[in-house]
Amino acid sequence: MKAEQPRHVGARIQRFEDIRLLSGLARYIDDIRLPNMLHLNFVRADIAHARIVGIDSSALADIGYPTWVFTGEHTAGLSMKAHQDYPEMQYSEQPLLAEGKVRFVGEPVAVVLAEDAYKAEDAAEHVMVEYDSLPVVGTMKQARDASLPPLFDGWTSNVIVQRQMKGGDLEAARTAAAHVIKRTYRTQRQAGVPMECRGVVAHYNPADRLLTVWSSTQMPHLVRTYIAEELNLPESRIRVVAPDVGGGFGIKGQVFGDEVLVAWLAMKTGRPVKWIEDRREHLVASLHARDHEHTLEAYVSADGRLLGLKADITVDNGAYSTFPFTAAGEPGMVGKVLPGPYDLKAYEATFRAVATNKCPIGTYRGVARPSAVFSQERLMDDIALELGMDPFELRLKNIVREFPYKNVLGFTYDEGSYAQSLEQMRGLLAKDIVDATASRASETTRIGVGFACFIEQTAHGTPDFTRRRVPIETGYIAARVEMSPDGEATIDLGLQNHGQGLETTMAQVAADALGILPENIYVRHGDTLTTPYSVGTWGSRGGPLGGGAVHIAATKLADKLRAIAAHLLQVKADQIELANGKASVRGNPGNHIEIRKLARAALRNVDQLPEGMTPGLEAHASLDGPRDGSYSNAVHAAVVEIDVTTGKMKLRRFVVVEDCGTILNPLVVDGQVRGGVVQGIGSAMFEHFIYDAECQPLTTNFADYLMPLAPEIPDIEVHHIETPTPLTPLGAKGLGEGGAIGPAAAIANAVANALGVGVISTPLNTNALWKLSQHIREAV
Amino acid sequence: MTEITLEVNGVTKTLDVEPRRLLADVLRQEFDLSGVHIGCAHGACGCCTVHLDETPRLSCLTFAVQCDGSSIKTVEAMGGPSADHLLQQAFKSEHGLQCGYCTPGFIMTLAPFVDEAIASRRMPENDEIREAMSGNICRCTGYHGIVAAVRKAIGSGLGENA
Ligand code: FES
Ligand code: FES
Repeated sequence: MKAEQPRHVGARIQRFEDIRLLSGLARYIDDIRLPNMLHLNFVRADIAHARIVGIDSSALADIGYPTWVFTGEHTAGLSMKAHQDYPEMQYSEQPLLAEGKVRFVGEPVAVVLAEDAYKAEDAAEHVMVEYDSLPVVGTMKQARDASLPPLFDGWTSNVIVQRQMKGGDLEAARTAAAHVIKRTYRTQRQAGVPMECRGVVAHYNPADRLLTVWSSTQMPHLVRTYIAEELNLPESRIRVVAPDVGGGFGIKGQVFGDEVLVAWLAMKTGRPVKWIEDRREHLVASLHARDHEHTLEAYVSADGRLLGLKADITVDNGAYSTFPFTAAGEPGMVGKVLPGPYDLKAYEATFRAVATNKCPIGTYRGVARPSAVFSQERLMDDIALELGMDPFELRLKNIVREFPYKNVLGFTYDEGSYAQSLEQMRGLLAKDIVDATASRASETTRIGVGFACFIEQTAHGTPDFTRRRVPIETGYIAARVEMSPDGEATIDLGLQNHGQGLETTMAQVAADALGILPENIYVRHGDTLTTPYSVGTWGSRGGPLGGGAVHIAATKLADKLRAIAAHLLQVKADQIELANGKASVRGNPGNHIEIRKLARAALRNVDQLPEGMTPGLEAHASLDGPRDGSYSNAVHAAVVEIDVTTGKMKLRRFVVVEDCGTILNPLVVDGQVRGGVVQGIGSAMFEHFIYDAECQPLTTNFADYLMPLAPEIPDIEVHHIETPTPLTPLGAKGLGEGGAIGPAAAIANAVANALGVGVISTPLNTNALWKLSQHIREAV
Repeated sequence: MTEITLEVNGVTKTLDVEPRRLLADVLRQEFDLSGVHIGCAHGACGCCTVHLDETPRLSCLTFAVQCDGSSIKTVEAMGGPSADHLLQQAFKSEHGLQCGYCTPGFIMTLAPFVDEAIASRRMPENDEIREAMSGNICRCTGYHGIVAAVRKAIGSGLGENA
């Protein structure tokens, strides 16, 4: 069902939310201030693995101002449970405050409340925790060493989960192969780092028994459900509000123990409680990402056909499983997506998550796919090198060209532009390839060209979650559209906007259906009191599913407007067109009535309605994703220049050819792609969360944890191909994450090309490049 | 407690503050200016940039007591509630912001750079623009739209229609 003539969808409309954000009027979590509020400061573990011997807060008696201290004894039994119902998965819980043991540096052990944030921080320093240290499990290798004791009582090893997935006849592929290429690839642990840290404020009002929780989250409804279940409260009496949120990137797409804890404390103390995370806490103890090792074995025919692929995947998950995507989510996703855009007939993956004494791993933009695509696309280049083939030719030989395509694991790919985007990219890089070849003679400066071709499953529907038995359970988005008597509309949306431009794009979608202007549509989101239940903004579903739900609801409302107009103009409803604020008779535009008059009739002058029609102008729709999702595709390319005498690398170009189906707003789409790419460049070149052998974190501030800054980043060139999907109402596919997926692979391939070496790991920082270019320096 | 007098966005107030209180906190709480954002509190992200006597300054690395007698400007006073400063409008048209958390810091860092370029009647190279924002981190935009916004603002200041 398409809008008859899209007028606003597809237009480069400037964002409505910008004025609030630019003027300083936005309200983020730290701007929530309530009378009589208590400020919370955590006492966190400063040792990675230990038994808690005792907690002594007696020094607070003399501190000279009131304080409140809570430990795991007070919160006993309250915990974060994130279990995937796989028989082989070992169960773990993270207590809200540590009970008996701590398992990573930064784990909350106690909280101190005071009437001022500075005082709470001072007071927390007076709480002494005595530990009895335990040996750490610090690496994947140690985690798989059966002689080391497990992190949890009752576990048999530190392998949290290990499973297999397969399709086709791998043995036959191996036998038929002329080449077997085996490599192990490694992507590093990193942090997600939204510029706004996390934070929670909670307030309990006994008058109406309403608990209000403000949280810097991407998923307010899920936070509400978890709090209700854990604290045993009726969900109708909990309101969760995500105010303006300063970036999320998946990091804020989990339910955190502190959200439950702050809510519990507000009820316990009878006063509003506020916690604002500081940057060190964010870096060491909110959520980490990536940290993968993949061993791939490809079976390839003499002429470069990929016959089969065997994969062994390990993710260093850290200490706990996170809700709602769990410890199995990250490695399982790699197993699922490795077949990629290639026509592969035999595949087998073994994936596992292992537990170590580190911060838990969770979803960060791209979720496992930046690592998966790094391995997949490095492997393709390694195969091309071994066979002496051009890397474009190798990919074009194996690329999926017929749609819908059922892949080796049974997932169906909808229409895409895989081959076309590869061909387009080849054209865009022609001159760089010549420059790169010419630079091989240079003893100091080498130029390299690398690219990565990938697909991204977006907007997956409930069956995808059911198959994985993951506690997120579903992925639908709901919207309610309402028109007021003045003819303006409000959208109450189950998504949460933290930079995606939803207050604009969703108004564009509704405007096309309703025939009014986007600026006359107010998009409300992020508040469970006003918005219909939904899973929140994550997993590249805002455009396709949020936009789709808004389209369906607005179309229902438009149908009613047409029925009223038809009655008043004495024509048939299917003769009515809604546009420019008017309902007019098709072919006779002089015969029209203003939409605001129809709204007035529906809500006030209801005597004008057709007989039997109920008053009101409100419609609801919820939209689940397609069974296997809808697949966006892209090719990313990097042109790098490496000074082999210093290891310094410059990005000369970064080019994207992408296809996310129907584009709702090109301004926003380009912004999402470019922002994602630069985060991907961070993964490729800069960001590395480092622990020492005792699992002490070493990168706890922005001087040590490096992210891309403007001078290091080139202009990002973006080219679009639009292949609308038949699987979502507007033809849109998801695009929020794709930008971050390709850069590590593209840059690594460019480095390999420039230096003539195999690249097996990230980050490709100056140190790494210095080592990788040693053979060139030695040859001089 | 120390008594200090600050002129903030044209309003003068005398107040008692603890010597250890950060300028950022005093602006946010005592002056109710929510446009002052804290991204790191250790001087590495630029989110908290304000103008202290017309010079960009990190308010997370500045104690309020150090500013006694100074005049301070925050993003709220750049273009008012409708954000109609040249640079703010350029951020909007060039999509120089997404979540908006870093944005006030970028505006306060770059506004003097834009003014200077206009005064010297010269469009800087992209490299110079990127260098001018090298103390600010944006995690959303990839900087592309911010560079474009600076060019656009300088261009309109120079009377170009670009
Ligand atoms: S908050 Fe001041 S520089 Fe980061
Ligand atoms: S717009 Fe979100 S950090 Fe810059």
